[in-house]
Amino acid sequence: MKNKLAFWLITCILSIFVIYILVISIVMPVMTKTALPKVVINAPVVKEKSGKGKTENPNPKEEPIPDSLVAKSSKDGLKDIFELRKKENWLQSRFELASEDSMYLVLDLTHNSAVIEMKGIVLHECKVIKSEVSNSITMFQNETLLNWMAEPFTVKRVDSTIPKISFIEKIAPKDTIEANKVEVEPKMPELEDVFIVMDFDRNLRLVIQQNEKPTEKGQKVISDLRWKYQLAEIRRTVQSLTKFNRQPSMPQITIVLPKSDATILYKSLPVNIKMILKM
Amino acid sequence: MEIEDKKQKPFLSVVIWIIPLLLLSLIVLMIVYTPDFQNSAFKMKSFFSGSVNYAKNSLNGGNSSLVKSRQKIASIENKLDKLKPVKPYIVVNTTENRFSLRDVSGDTIKTGMCSTGKNELLIAGKKRIVFKTPKGMFTVKNKQQARPWVKPDWAFIEEGLPVPSARSADRIDYNTLGDYALEIGDGYMLHGTLYQRFLGLPVTHGCVRLGDKDLELIYNTLSKGSKVFIY
Repeated sequence: MKNKLAFWLITCILSIFVIYILVISIVMPVMTKTALPKVVINAPVVKEKSGKGKTENPNPKEEPIPDSLVAKSSKDGLKDIFELRKKENWLQSRFELASEDSMYLVLDLTHNSAVIEMKGIVLHECKVIKSEVSNSITMFQNETLLNWMAEPFTVKRVDSTIPKISFIEKIAPKDTIEANKVEVEPKMPELEDVFIVMDFDRNLRLVIQQNEKPTEKGQKVISDLRWKYQLAEIRRTVQSLTKFNRQPSMPQITIVLPKSDATILYKSLPVNIKMILKM
Repeated sequence: MEIEDKKQKPFLSVVIWIIPLLLLSLIVLMIVYTPDFQNSAFKMKSFFSGSVNYAKNSLNGGNSSLVKSRQKIASIENKLDKLKPVKPYIVVNTTENRFSLRDVSGDTIKTGMCSTGKNELLIAGKKRIVFKTPKGMFTVKNKQQARPWVKPDWAFIEEGLPVPSARSADRIDYNTLGDYALEIGDGYMLHGTLYQRFLGLPVTHGCVRLGDKDLELIYNTLSKGSKVFIY
């Protein structure tokens, strides 16, 4: 009798614990929608080419619109507004980056393209062969997603299997005889296997993979980099479990590009990469 | 024997219940504290209530909002257009050593091979000289036909020759730059080459070398103030 009582008591306590954890972990976070951090907009000043600073609201999505209008609008109407605002944000971001003096990346997952742009000019367009987006992004088909993508993303950390720029070191010849000896027929440098991980602000991780099968040597380098990130993830998980500290979700976008395009993209973009995302 | 079995049964059933519950708790903890598991949780949530959220929270709006949005889009598109070059321009790809000459509307006039910087670091004693093509947007500052090249110090150092004085006649070379040269600042130019067979290869000291016919077309199409994009 005592054992039976103990069994039910333990079962009840554990069940309550499980329900509590389920509510805290799944229902609450989703209800409060905290997974995708919003853009923090600091300066609402948009540079005018004429030089006059004109104050505009760069974040029109924040405008409150009466609920009555929402009720009247059909779902298609809402979809239209959503698409328009998405386009508006996208153009605003492009304008913002085009006003600066550096190259930026425009990742358009709706058209499967990754574009290097400068001053609004398409310098290089790459075809995205395959893309994969985390569930934590795809579930947000609403204002949260719009807010998250409203401003350009700025890179915080980049890891790659290829160098941004590599120099061949050469010692200056002492005389013309030595100079003539050094002369070698120039050739196109071989493209190394590419695997790039870019961590952006607002917790976004962009992984760029090459479409071609890597060489044996390249595969090892790629595996090492992958393993490095997996280890970091495991460490993060263990830390979270031991310290009971809930880590923010890190949505990931993985794109597969031709090797040459992935190389061009990485080598061309500045160190402080800025990206506009459309999806 | 039967009496012993009866005594063990409650203990066993407790263990049988506890183990899966503990495992379940562990999984739940993983969901709470790891992003990967959270993604799975999000998928579940979107399955149950994604569409409802869309209609409810997605976007407040009506016709006035639509009109406003369209007006803003038109305004931004207009501003973006103003940033674009007003003259034909050239885009140079340093990774593939190719160029693309484009008109004001962005349509391609001509594409072809060129040679860009060889990404070399020349070490001469304490001096470090870098040969690379700079990236970014440049402007054609000057156009010249049959421009003589005033050789800088590195041209002599690289060939193992003694460096002559700044005004020495040895520095003047009438053949290297080809028929036309377009200066883009900081000593960098778009010019011709004696080594046409190296077009498509990274062999230069930073300038962009072009084939004779392409160079002529580029010289005639671009004017002072035209933009040169190098990436």
